[in-house]
Amino acid sequence: MAAAASATLAAASAGRARGVRVAVVRIGIIVALLTAWEIVARSGWLFRDVVPTLAVIGRAVLRMLADPVFYANLRVTALEIAAALAIGGGIGLIVGLLLGGSRFLSRAYEGIVYYLGPTPKIIFFPIMILWFGTGAGSKIAMGALSCFFPIVISVASGMREIPLVLIRVGQSFRANPWQMSRLVYLPAMRAPIVNGVRLGLGIAIIGTLLAETKLSNQGLGYLVIQAYATFDMPRMYALLIILFVLAIGANALIGRYGSRAPAQSP
Amino acid sequence: MGRRIAARSLVPPATGVLTLVGAFAVLEALIRVGVVNRFVVPLPSQVLAAIPRIVAEEGVPYRFWQTTQEAIGASVLLVVVGVALGMLLFRFDVLRSACETWVAALASAPIVLMYPLFLVIFGRSATTIVMIGFIAGLPPVILKTVEGLAGTRRVLLDVGRSFRLSEAQRFRKILMPAALPTIFVGMRVGLIFALINIVGVEFLINFGGLGQLINELAERYDLPGTYAAIGFVILVSILFFVVCERAEVWLLPHRQR
Amino acid sequence: MSAAPATAAPVLAVAGIVKRFGAGDDALLAVDHVSFDVARGEFVSIIGPSGCGKSTLFNVIGGLLGDFEGRVTVDGQQVSGTHPAIGMVFQEESTFPWRTVVDNVAFPLELAGIPKRVRHERARHFVSMVGLDGFERRYPAELSGGMRQRVSIARTLASEPRILLMDEPFAALDEQTRLLLGDKVLQIHQALRQTTLLITHNITEAVQLSDRVLVMTYRPGRLKRTFAIDLPRPRTSEIVGSDAFGRYVAHIWSDLREEASRGIHDDELRTRERGEQR
Repeated sequence: MAAAASATLAAASAGRARGVRVAVVRIGIIVALLTAWEIVARSGWLFRDVVPTLAVIGRAVLRMLADPVFYANLRVTALEIAAALAIGGGIGLIVGLLLGGSRFLSRAYEGIVYYLGPTPKIIFFPIMILWFGTGAGSKIAMGALSCFFPIVISVASGMREIPLVLIRVGQSFRANPWQMSRLVYLPAMRAPIVNGVRLGLGIAIIGTLLAETKLSNQGLGYLVIQAYATFDMPRMYALLIILFVLAIGANALIGRYGSRAPAQSP
Repeated sequence: MGRRIAARSLVPPATGVLTLVGAFAVLEALIRVGVVNRFVVPLPSQVLAAIPRIVAEEGVPYRFWQTTQEAIGASVLLVVVGVALGMLLFRFDVLRSACETWVAALASAPIVLMYPLFLVIFGRSATTIVMIGFIAGLPPVILKTVEGLAGTRRVLLDVGRSFRLSEAQRFRKILMPAALPTIFVGMRVGLIFALINIVGVEFLINFGGLGQLINELAERYDLPGTYAAIGFVILVSILFFVVCERAEVWLLPHRQR
Repeated sequence: MSAAPATAAPVLAVAGIVKRFGAGDDALLAVDHVSFDVARGEFVSIIGPSGCGKSTLFNVIGGLLGDFEGRVTVDGQQVSGTHPAIGMVFQEESTFPWRTVVDNVAFPLELAGIPKRVRHERARHFVSMVGLDGFERRYPAELSGGMRQRVSIARTLASEPRILLMDEPFAALDEQTRLLLGDKVLQIHQALRQTTLLITHNITEAVQLSDRVLVMTYRPGRLKRTFAIDLPRPRTSEIVGSDAFGRYVAHIWSDLREEASRGIHDDELRTRERGEQR
């Protein structure tokens, strides 16, 4: 018993040593990149304003985070994205459940969704403006259209992977379709749904923000284009950095939530 | 338990296609009757008629070629840089443990949003478009390359050891061939990501090939033309996707299905 | 029970192999002082229950596992690590899926720098020897499991090793296929007089193919007993029905049974212990 414990300790310390090495490599890479940036910034090799020094960028980030204008626009974008995800994700969820649950429907319509998936949705934007105006409506529509497809595919294939035996159990208890959805399908589908939402959120963010950069007078995308138009590079960098951090953070959070869920053991 | 088994395997897909056609027919009717405003949604028949017009008048073949060139540029970069980085991560385990999650996070990041930045750096040019396409497609190529190399079956490497292969031989004759199917999947996904972003950025910055066409037609308020161009681009995109899938099957005849 | 043939120097001499996994108190003794010889042209089988360390022995002799005590010599020369004189056939599927059958078999010839036409010529010879004429341009995915294993054997034979080492190559196949492939192996052995060491858990297979059968104990693996198989050569799978065959199998089984039941008993013990730890 003691021998087993000492072996586990040895393995644990080897793991820790490795963890330290990985951390060192990560820090090393970050430091190297930042140093290279600073060198390029100070050398004036590229037109000076295009690559501002880290200090300038840092200040711009802090200014941005203290700016109420930023938060106002952040709120607009966040609401648009939330609405886009709710609409596109909601419809996508329902369509996905329908397609996943019926072999006929799947073979009839899933191909259309599958092949329409990898197409650039932003090109639909002129139509969205026609239908929903130049306000938030067209941005939300853009985001919703973008995230609809990956969510349908994820949900449909997730439904097909539910162990058949679980479905039979529900049927043997004569559950009606509503009960089946709530008590059998949805719990078993937690992982694919979470993954679909994660993917959908990322794509909804992109779709909504791109629409904002094209035609808007509100939102973070609009701020980015405004910075471009006024050639305020530090401000643009600050916005992009904050955007990326928020997007990656949101993605990581959902991923964490998805993995913390109690595992459905088949 | 009544279960309907499709008698012929063509019935379901046919249903799908017919539903689409039917929906367009209904739309046509609704517009003609006036229920749907024809200045918001042009007649589908008008849109169809516009396709040959824009192909002839707007130099669609040339624009198609422009977009293709950008795609080729991005692809070359993806193969050279993406596979190389993937090999690098595989070769150095510490590097892999450090960077793999970063690359995966990059895949979900809104890379294309950096296009205003690229506009400043590279100007309103094909370079901007190619660079964004390249960076957008990079994560899947890197990740799949690492996955393919790392997933080589242990016994195949043992065979290599039993025949006393050198490092270089092991890489050329066992690791790379074993990884190739997975690398191709990565290239396909990466290429599709790249193309979506390429056409998207063409639209956004009003430069380039097919994406720009849509932007132009929209700014001219040529409604049927805009719808037609969008439809055309969607069709091309689907075709490209199908070709990629077929190419993968054709290139790797030995893949066990 | 008899001593190894005393005529010529043995092709393979294994002396005092001891292999441990892990270190200190926790170390697992897999192979415990195993020594034996294989003479030129001899077909020797090592048989033992699951978990007796025979695959470990295979990997040690083949040079894939290091860090052991004892010596492995080939034709008098001590070897360490993999050696061109030792050809290995693995238990798992080991054909290269991206190469055709003939390209798989020609692999060792390709490594030796032999030009394409010549090596394909030679490879075809071995493809024919394992009975896969006509399948040269097929890919492994198009073949059955048994055929794929034959490709692996042909590939190793193409490197013309002084000793052929096989680790349960037919484990994944059904009994009839095994018997028929056994026929093939006998034919090849007859034609090439290939010195062979076969690791197996299948008694029928061992007796069918071998000149001698070495029985290993359950872990830690030791050589328990050697059986000389005095069945006439050339042999075919028909020999399986003979009385002499049956007697050999019975004798070997009585030795093996003790070891196998120790193995099962040990498994149960460990499973119970793990359960109690929860």
